[in-house]
Amino acid sequence: MMTINPLAWVSGSDAPERSIVNLGFMPLTDAASLIVAATQGFAQPYGLTLRLHRQPSWSALRDNLLNGELDAAHSLYSMIYGLQLGLSGSSATDMAILMGLAQNGQSINLSATLAAEGIVTADALSRRIHQPGQAPLTLAHTLPTSTHALWLYYWLAAQGIHPLEDTHTAVVPPPLMVEHLRAGRIDGYCVGEPWGAVATEQGLGVTLATSQSIWPDHPEKVLACTLAFAQQNPNTARALICALLDASRFIEESLENRRSTAQLISGEAYVNAPLTAIEPRMIGNYEDGLGHCWTDPHPLSFFREGNVNMPYLSDGMWFMTQFRRWGLLRSDPDYLGIATQVQQLALYREAAEHVGVIVPEHTMRSARLMDGRLWDGQNPAAYARCFPLHALADIPLHQSY
Amino acid sequence: MRILLIDDTPKKVGRLKAALLEAGFDVIEESGLTIDLPARIEALRPDVILFDTQSPSRDVMEQVCLVTRDRPRPIIMFTDEHDPNVMRQAIQSGVSAYIVEGIHAQRLQPILDVAMARFETDQALRAQLQARDQQLAERKRIELAKGMLMKMRDCNEEQAYTLMRRQAMSKQQKLIQVAEQIITMNELLGFQP
Repeated sequence: MMTINPLAWVSGSDAPERSIVNLGFMPLTDAASLIVAATQGFAQPYGLTLRLHRQPSWSALRDNLLNGELDAAHSLYSMIYGLQLGLSGSSATDMAILMGLAQNGQSINLSATLAAEGIVTADALSRRIHQPGQAPLTLAHTLPTSTHALWLYYWLAAQGIHPLEDTHTAVVPPPLMVEHLRAGRIDGYCVGEPWGAVATEQGLGVTLATSQSIWPDHPEKVLACTLAFAQQNPNTARALICALLDASRFIEESLENRRSTAQLISGEAYVNAPLTAIEPRMIGNYEDGLGHCWTDPHPLSFFREGNVNMPYLSDGMWFMTQFRRWGLLRSDPDYLGIATQVQQLALYREAAEHVGVIVPEHTMRSARLMDGRLWDGQNPAAYARCFPLHALADIPLHQSY
Repeated sequence: MRILLIDDTPKKVGRLKAALLEAGFDVIEESGLTIDLPARIEALRPDVILFDTQSPSRDVMEQVCLVTRDRPRPIIMFTDEHDPNVMRQAIQSGVSAYIVEGIHAQRLQPILDVAMARFETDQALRAQLQARDQQLAERKRIELAKGMLMKMRDCNEEQAYTLMRRQAMSKQQKLIQVAEQIITMNELLGFQP
């Protein structure tokens, strides 16, 4: 742990404008760094008291972030862009992404009933869906602008399944997924852990794919607030990033730390799920519900020397290309301009340097996704159009807004 | 809105009561300052406290201080006292609005609104300050426990922190709780901090 005169933050002009920060989180394994930071004394050295507020759904978290009940929150990467672009029912609100909190660790799961019919591979699922006369399957995600909707759509489309034409989709809050699956109201879902593992553990579902099999080390959760909050409280925002970087580093310092983190977050006040459903996948040990076990090379990660936390512009832009692809955006936004406004690179850089975390030189990164396509942040408008399956809906120029 | 009116004018002219009733407020009137104000506030739970006083005495200020400390409420003082020193003293003791002379029914609502808003801001600031004090107090306790652990386990600062955190996390506790346990255990075993 770096301790470069932490008191310099408490006194003097860098002192946080607020000493209490209200932080929202969803009961998910990838909220661990917030829970660890708030309970294990990581924010006090920076003059902050973090108050955790568990939220029942992403829509509740979003509303509380906008109405000021929450100062900042564990957020879905794409949800923040949905708010920025006004895709979430409310009018557009300028948002700020302070840092990445987690990569990987989401999963696509199908009911045990479908698995019993032999639908245990992507191919089998594709055949079932395209079989004439069969009722369409209902697949759930967590919010229309969620990363889970986009992972599910990307994965289905890569199998030749059109997510919006060939399936029904439903929105279900993460902790309720397993109940809906048990009740037969949904046939499968994409969600963050432990809600995939809980279903396999109870014999209610099987894990067909992990999100890291779609995009290894994909962007997932971020620490976000409104742009107004970040601009009015820059020192608070910076201190918050420092505390969370320290906590993220601590979690990944050793296997023992990861294990005690799993124990902490399984508590009733936090994720409120059995440790057995949290710990294995958190440290990369997967079992898919069909007896197939593997150690994942790209498990849920919180730090990886700061690679997880860097708010890359290309990560933010990718989510906008998928909004465009699936018709949530009817014209091309200013991909780079908007990402530059939302991703708080300057604040992140200052905080990371303060706690001795390496900041990559480049603000774009490149990745090859499961369908072989390369995403490097160059030419996002063309990228959004390069997919054979899509729901691109262009509105004529004279109607554009 | 429930208003506790403290009439401290010599002749108890009741000049405020009529205006307040006219403006549609629910008024509870108390006379003089022989009452135990914090206790009355606890019993009556008013939204706002109004003082009507020719010149706030030291006794009045003392009552205001007690209220601010124990039962924080917006306090408005109507007075004939022009002395800026008295006014400053009143604000310092926790008065949200200090109004000299001129009581008109139509002015009461905006005065009350300003006093309530001012009170809310003060309360938020107070909460932030309290949080800051508590943070510092907790840091000191954690530092103390860390020092004890370093001695007991013969380890360095970072190792001591990690040990305390692992213990806290595996028990689903906060770091401060484990720090307090270490301090208690040390006292019990008679180690010198």
